[in-house]
Amino acid sequence: MSTHINDTADLQAISRKRDVRRKTIPALAQAGPVSVWMILFVTLPMLFIIYISFMSRGVFGDVVYEFSTESYQTLLDATYFKVILKSLQVALFTTVLCLLLGYPFAYYIARKPPETASRLIMLIMIPFWTNSLMRLNSWLLLFQTSGPVNNFLQWAGIVDAPITFVYTDGLVVLGMITNMLPFAVLPLYSSIEKLQKSLLEASSDLGATPRETFFRVTLPLTFPGIFSAVILVFIPSLGIYTVSDMLGGGKVLYIGNIIKNQFGAIRNWPLGAALSVLLLVITGALIFLYTRFAKLEDMEVV
Amino acid sequence: MKRILSGVLASAMLLALCACGGGKTPAETAPGTDAPETPAEASTELNIYMWQQYISDELIADFESQNNCTVNLSYMSDNADAITKLTAGGGQEYDLIMTCDAYMESLIAGGYVEELDMSQVPNASNINSAYWSSPKHSIPYLGNYIYVVYNKETCPIEITCYNDLLDPSLKGQISTIDGARNLFPIALIALGYDPNSTVESEIAEAYEWLVKFNENVVAYGAAEQNLTNGTASVALTYDGNASWAMAEMGEENPLVVAPFTDDAVQLGFDMYVMPTGAKHTDLAYKFLDYICTPEVMAKNLEEFPYFCPNDAAVAAAPESYRNDPAKDFDYKENVFFQEDVGDALTIYNDYYQKLKVGQ
Repeated sequence: MSTHINDTADLQAISRKRDVRRKTIPALAQAGPVSVWMILFVTLPMLFIIYISFMSRGVFGDVVYEFSTESYQTLLDATYFKVILKSLQVALFTTVLCLLLGYPFAYYIARKPPETASRLIMLIMIPFWTNSLMRLNSWLLLFQTSGPVNNFLQWAGIVDAPITFVYTDGLVVLGMITNMLPFAVLPLYSSIEKLQKSLLEASSDLGATPRETFFRVTLPLTFPGIFSAVILVFIPSLGIYTVSDMLGGGKVLYIGNIIKNQFGAIRNWPLGAALSVLLLVITGALIFLYTRFAKLEDMEVV
Repeated sequence: MKRILSGVLASAMLLALCACGGGKTPAETAPGTDAPETPAEASTELNIYMWQQYISDELIADFESQNNCTVNLSYMSDNADAITKLTAGGGQEYDLIMTCDAYMESLIAGGYVEELDMSQVPNASNINSAYWSSPKHSIPYLGNYIYVVYNKETCPIEITCYNDLLDPSLKGQISTIDGARNLFPIALIALGYDPNSTVESEIAEAYEWLVKFNENVVAYGAAEQNLTNGTASVALTYDGNASWAMAEMGEENPLVVAPFTDDAVQLGFDMYVMPTGAKHTDLAYKFLDYICTPEVMAKNLEEFPYFCPNDAAVAAAPESYRNDPAKDFDYKENVFFQEDVGDALTIYNDYYQKLKVGQ
């Protein structure tokens, strides 16, 4: 009897071992490289930023490794609250505009035959072959007081005196949108492309007007794409500082500028780190909201 | 379709990666050169950290061929970068670092820079000692006035003091340099205080002044470009940038240096220091002596028309430098220097941030 029990126990142990070999090793082989990659390039730098944010600042602006919550106390200042609010506003505005422009465009591409569609997608990507600073500078050159746009307007007799485009909010928004639009179009396109035509036909067969079909069938079914677009546009626009620096003339600071200044000119790394952590928290909260709304698997990026 | 898309994305990412990797400067040391005490084995590499667009390429190329070496220039984007390099470690990766006079005191006190052996830099005798604040630890390179220039055709008023910059008719007309320690002294002088004040109430008043000034500002930075393309009619900028803008305007240059009557203007110097533990000191000394040579510096001034503390070089400089309209002002002696303000820097930074955040 006892030997029998031992036998089953042995068998169980063997099968468990086999299970481990069968399941764990492939899992490790698959997830291992990615995990190493993520730990090395995402987790470690992030932990270091969090660590620095709890340190104090030295006389020369160096990081002194002494625990302090001073940076987080500084964040409570109304100034930072205003900056964050303003950055959120701009990011939100950019996101809405990108969606309004991106959705019709993605819809148009998705309804084209595949060869045409791939060419159109290509067109969106081409500007990204040059550095973003280069593109911003070219906007500046195009729109400057004695630039081609103003010259043309004056030549055509549309305006008498040159219009000031540069260093205005309008140009900043233009810069933001041109930078961010592809991040809205690509997930939207992939979502709309998947939409089955038969569903739309069914909807119209059942008596829905095109308008109703769009709002009650197309829009809900492409929601995952919309949400991915929102996240992909909103989060980078929250942290970007080059656009407002170059096209806005550096007159307005957003949270990205402030973080950059803390690590650069002002040399208060702990405060810069604390601000980065704050940005991480905001981003995390957004992703959390998303998981409440929809399944994470639904998030579509191409 | 998906495959095409992912291909496009992957190539875009690759390109982005390439773009990121381009700017690195090798700071490796050639084997056998890490002992500066043995000059028998001459260094073949010199690593310098300085401002971009601040030294003639030709000058560097000549030095390289004369000494059979490679000069690696890395560039900073802010004075603070140099201080970070010197104080946060990594300074010894460079043989010469450019810094400005405002930081010298604390750098010397902290032991971050080597004392220089002036016998190895004989040409340094050309430098006017009036402009040489730390003669044991640094070699002044070039200096900058921060003053007001305006376009006499488009600017509605004549500017003779800082308070004129608040005139409502200048709304959206001023292109100005940036930075707390460049902006606040101007406001402090306009209010009649010490430009390097450490008194919080005075700095707070200066902040109020700058808020009004900010209303007239069209952009921070890019003064040269904004003056020449007509975006701004007034600029608060460095003399070198003013000189370029004036040259760009050609024969009938409408840009003039504002005829200030009483207010002092800021004069700052960029100097080379040798970080503690620098490896290629033999070449570094040769380089310092080389740039102090009047003919070499004179040629450099042709391309970079900044204020030069090297009297012999100025005398040897071409006509275009000595008759530069950007140097045509009579208050050259009425200057102030940026001083180390110690802990008050935090006050400046806080108000600066408030200024930029706006209300």
